[in-house]
Amino acid sequence: MVFQVIIKSITIGDAEQCLALTKRALQQGFSAESVLEKGLIAGMNRVAEKFRKQRVMVPEVLMASRAMHAGLSLIEPLLENTKKISSGKIVMGTVAGDLHDIGLSLVKMLVMATGIEVINLGVDVTPKKFAAVVRKEKPHILMMSALLTTTMTMMKEVIDELESSGIRKNLIIVVGGAPIDAGFAKRIGADYYFEDAFEVKAFLDENINKIISKKNRWT
Amino acid sequence: MEHEKGDLVVEFTKIFSQTEVERVHEASLEILENVGMLVRNQKALEIFAQNGCIVDTETMMVKFPREVVEKARETFVPTYTFTAQDPKFDITMPGDRPVVVTGSSAPNIIDPKTGEERRATSDDIANIAYLINELPGFDVFSISTLADDAPEGQFSLSRFYPALKNCKKPVRSNTPNMEDLKAVLELGYLIAGGEEEYRRRPFINHHYCPVVSPLTFDVESTEAVIYLIEEGLPVYGTIVPNAGMTSPLSLMGTLTLGNAEFLGLATLTQMIRPGAPMIYAVLSTVADMRTGAYAPGAIETGMLQMAHTEMARFYNVPSGGYIGLTNAHTNDAQSGYETGMNTTGALLAGADLFNMGGLLGSLMAFDFGKAVIDNEIALMLKRIKKGYEYSEENLCLDLIAKVGPGGSYMDADHTMKNMRTIAVLPKVATREMRRRWEDQGKPDAHARAMKEADKILSKPNKSRFSEELDAKIREQFKGLVAGDAKWSL
Repeated sequence: MVFQVIIKSITIGDAEQCLALTKRALQQGFSAESVLEKGLIAGMNRVAEKFRKQRVMVPEVLMASRAMHAGLSLIEPLLENTKKISSGKIVMGTVAGDLHDIGLSLVKMLVMATGIEVINLGVDVTPKKFAAVVRKEKPHILMMSALLTTTMTMMKEVIDELESSGIRKNLIIVVGGAPIDAGFAKRIGADYYFEDAFEVKAFLDENINKIISKKNRWT
Repeated sequence: MEHEKGDLVVEFTKIFSQTEVERVHEASLEILENVGMLVRNQKALEIFAQNGCIVDTETMMVKFPREVVEKARETFVPTYTFTAQDPKFDITMPGDRPVVVTGSSAPNIIDPKTGEERRATSDDIANIAYLINELPGFDVFSISTLADDAPEGQFSLSRFYPALKNCKKPVRSNTPNMEDLKAVLELGYLIAGGEEEYRRRPFINHHYCPVVSPLTFDVESTEAVIYLIEEGLPVYGTIVPNAGMTSPLSLMGTLTLGNAEFLGLATLTQMIRPGAPMIYAVLSTVADMRTGAYAPGAIETGMLQMAHTEMARFYNVPSGGYIGLTNAHTNDAQSGYETGMNTTGALLAGADLFNMGGLLGSLMAFDFGKAVIDNEIALMLKRIKKGYEYSEENLCLDLIAKVGPGGSYMDADHTMKNMRTIAVLPKVATREMRRRWEDQGKPDAHARAMKEADKILSKPNKSRFSEELDAKIREQFKGLVAGDAKWSL
């Protein structure tokens, strides 16, 4: 069964094989949607499960994520527009003055495993830059990260910038990073705080469809 | 070697041969020359360009020809002094090693009453400052937490004011931007009675992590470091590679990358002001690759500190860093063995500076009990450093002959003379028989430590500012937090 071998190629982190197998599945006549659901996402879910049980380590998840995205590159152009929109879009970055992105990369890795489109702005992202990208990309969710206790206050400035540009309302704002907690998130007007990448993924698995349909009603 | 006669640490623990040490140095030069560093600060780029580095202003990449680094090495100085408000607390490395410092800038505190973790405030900082002032194991107070109650625009003042008000030992911390840094210096001038007086004895020691691994200078903290070096004020940086994440997943690779980053920062420092004192300070760690978790309490942190210290000895600069941190979330066995094992290893390798006190959960929360236990660990480290005091007299041959076989030393004058000084007399560690300990309600180390904290903090602080000085400060900085130590359990 081709889905089984796609899943295997992802769990062993073999991008070339995943690409070739995805191609083969499409040639065999499976729909892009079914390859995505039953092959790529199923494979990534298996890796995430193993990771939770500490049977694989971080670099293995990273390799699996790369393999999955190799396959995804073939699938994406074939997905219908409705499907594309329904997969969701997230913009993320580390706030200005902060050059740390390990936590951000871990979140990105697991979020991408859900099939959601991720635009990672990297480190040292100014409030203006966040606002400009949000305006252009119209993501469902904005995720901000800070490691330094001295830069976490920048998150409020980003939210203020979004407010004053009038683009805060339909956006879900998620904050994270070592010094952040739920109380802080609430105080600065963010919507969610998650302690680690797993919490983020669990939240998205549960809620992304609701978030997307809600947003579509508004737009 | 700068040990005294009879030091236990006559010969520091060595990990490498001389050839291997030189190879790590050479390899670091290769990294700086061929890979280079990304320098995101404009002033730093200019300084590097003016002093012989190859600078690409477009990409902000800086390559360091080896002779540029070697020239900087010529002006390295072997000592570093922490100046205090009260001169009796001045301390200089390496002579006064080990210099024990609190861990700093945690956002949270374990509430001493409820035992629950919460955001820390300026009142907490006042209590901590007073406690550190009184605990003899600590030499420098690095401001342990943030102040969640800081009024708008007084983020740093709300930390430094309660710290300086309640602790006469050297105070150390960071500031997030130049505006805050200058406000903190203003506060220093006021306390000293003028800018000139302050500059003669600058009792605020500034610390930053201007290098973000791998091989990157950041913007704001590099700006602060440059300013302070130019002004001749005390500042040093800590290098923080994390193996598997921001540096190679091998101890050798992380040591070498961290060493290159130290040399990069040291070169910048010496370019600005040749002879500026420095500390080879690190927090080199190995990430827990099962989850990507940060692991400053791991034994590898100690091993990396030992090797960095060996490199620091090669460069003849004082060494140390954040060593003795723990990942434990409560004052349990893990918190004790992580702090104890790593600091002992570092001490035996010759480290001078130990940023070790009071924090749980890998720098996330301050705990009063942990600070008291770390004070006791600090006293044990200092006992190891004091060593055997070798002398003919100390062999006690006459005394041994006098007491003879089968006698007792309990009532000897020699015993009377030494009984208060020869051994650490711990306040936390128990030596009671089990029955008595049970009668006391089976207090564990944390409970005994909290009792010590309570004993100290229940008394009014004699070391705080005079009313007159305090009024002057509050006049200058309107709306300042109270900053007074207040304690009740």
